[in-house]
Amino acid sequence: MMRDTTLELERWLQAGGKTAGQICITRASEGWELRHTEDAQREDLTTFSKYEDARALANLDDAGAFRPLKTAPNLRHGWRLVLPDAHAVCLALDYFYPAMVGVWLAHRDGEVTPVDLHDTLARQTGMYRITQKLTDEQAQRLIARQCRSNGGCLKTILWRIRENISVPLLPPEKFRADATPAGALPLLCQEACNFVVAAARKMVKDETPLAL
Amino acid sequence: MLTKSDSALVIAGHGSTLNPDSSGPTWALAEEIRRRGVFGEVHCAFWKEEPSLRQILHCVDRAHVYVVPNFISEGYFTKTVIPRELDLGDGVTRIGRHVVKYCEPVGNHPRMTELLLKRAAEIAPGVPPEKTSLFIVGHGTDLNENSAVAAKREVDRIAALGRYREVLSGYMEEAPLISEWDKLSTSPNVVVVPFFISDGLHSYEDIPVLLGIATESPGAASANRTSVFAKNPYHLRGRTLYYASSIGTEAGFAEVILDQVAAFDARHPA
Repeated sequence: MMRDTTLELERWLQAGGKTAGQICITRASEGWELRHTEDAQREDLTTFSKYEDARALANLDDAGAFRPLKTAPNLRHGWRLVLPDAHAVCLALDYFYPAMVGVWLAHRDGEVTPVDLHDTLARQTGMYRITQKLTDEQAQRLIARQCRSNGGCLKTILWRIRENISVPLLPPEKFRADATPAGALPLLCQEACNFVVAAARKMVKDETPLAL
Repeated sequence: MLTKSDSALVIAGHGSTLNPDSSGPTWALAEEIRRRGVFGEVHCAFWKEEPSLRQILHCVDRAHVYVVPNFISEGYFTKTVIPRELDLGDGVTRIGRHVVKYCEPVGNHPRMTELLLKRAAEIAPGVPPEKTSLFIVGHGTDLNENSAVAAKREVDRIAALGRYREVLSGYMEEAPLISEWDKLSTSPNVVVVPFFISDGLHSYEDIPVLLGIATESPGAASANRTSVFAKNPYHLRGRTLYYASSIGTEAGFAEVILDQVAAFDARHPA
């Protein structure tokens, strides 16, 4: 049977779902309102009313810099987005936190197979092929730096470096999907993203002079 | 009119970790096609941005999914990266609960010729084509081995129409180099149209520097974002030069995407 993402999100909202990353979602007089969690008490916010506005709101941080990684904890402040229904909320969340609703539902339904970092790097070609030289120790430092929730990325990591290789520099809950607080939409990472792969390339090149 | 309400569309783009405008044309296309209600759902997926090609099928409700690469040329990304990241075989691939139909990239479509001509006419209004040299600029690298082929194909098609005094290809990284535009062309007017999907570092900074209409400097791309196109025409090297923005924002791209889906169905009858 076809999945109905809008219906699933509506059920989640009605069951008490109230935050997604740095966004809080509340009932509005007609529909739903999204705003930055740190703007919950502010009354001087600029109001937007189309789900498409989410793309511009998500694209730049408070200083106007590009946010290529949308789950980085630097969502801009100062706005409220009022939307008519759960479908619009769904589309807006796809701009704020791309793929996160879909990956959450797929994970819940057992459709997500996390991919070890070394398998991700093993399939790289072109300029990223060099990342296959990344050692486990380098991977541990890399992930601790790139993926940390305070300043890196808000997602929960579902993948491993490889079997039996953990990342001791990050807290255990960073790797536990069931550690997501009640009422929060799980932001789940099934596989190291392009930013980690690009950072791995830089680390290998910087730390292995012969690899140049 | 194409109706695919039982199917999903995924437009696959390159994206960028540096340029906030790179994915804009692909998102705008998705919104335009969504507005038309042709597909049951419309998504974008990117190589360098999110949602990634690895994530996107988790976001698709419907079983049948058309993937159209929003790329100018068939090459490294359409032949290697996208199939690898999505686990695609040739043509139709069953992946979990999805049936994925991998279409031709937009740049292969015959309508590209029309869109390039439209952009060239818009940027130089009232300038007679018979006194004008038209350059189609491609990237040209080993990795994108077919980007030069795509630009050359369009040059041949436009030249065959006989409208412009001459139609030439120029590349950033291989001969004939666009930096030698004044030596390669003979007309008093020169129109330069980049054959790229989106405006970005190449069209804001790299090509203007190669043309000699901008200077190389850190941050030039952001400074040139609008001004490089607003300052037309440029008078230099004894010619009048008109520099156009990339064609990926043309409204006609939505039809091209729909045509690529229809062409896939024609090649793979149910």
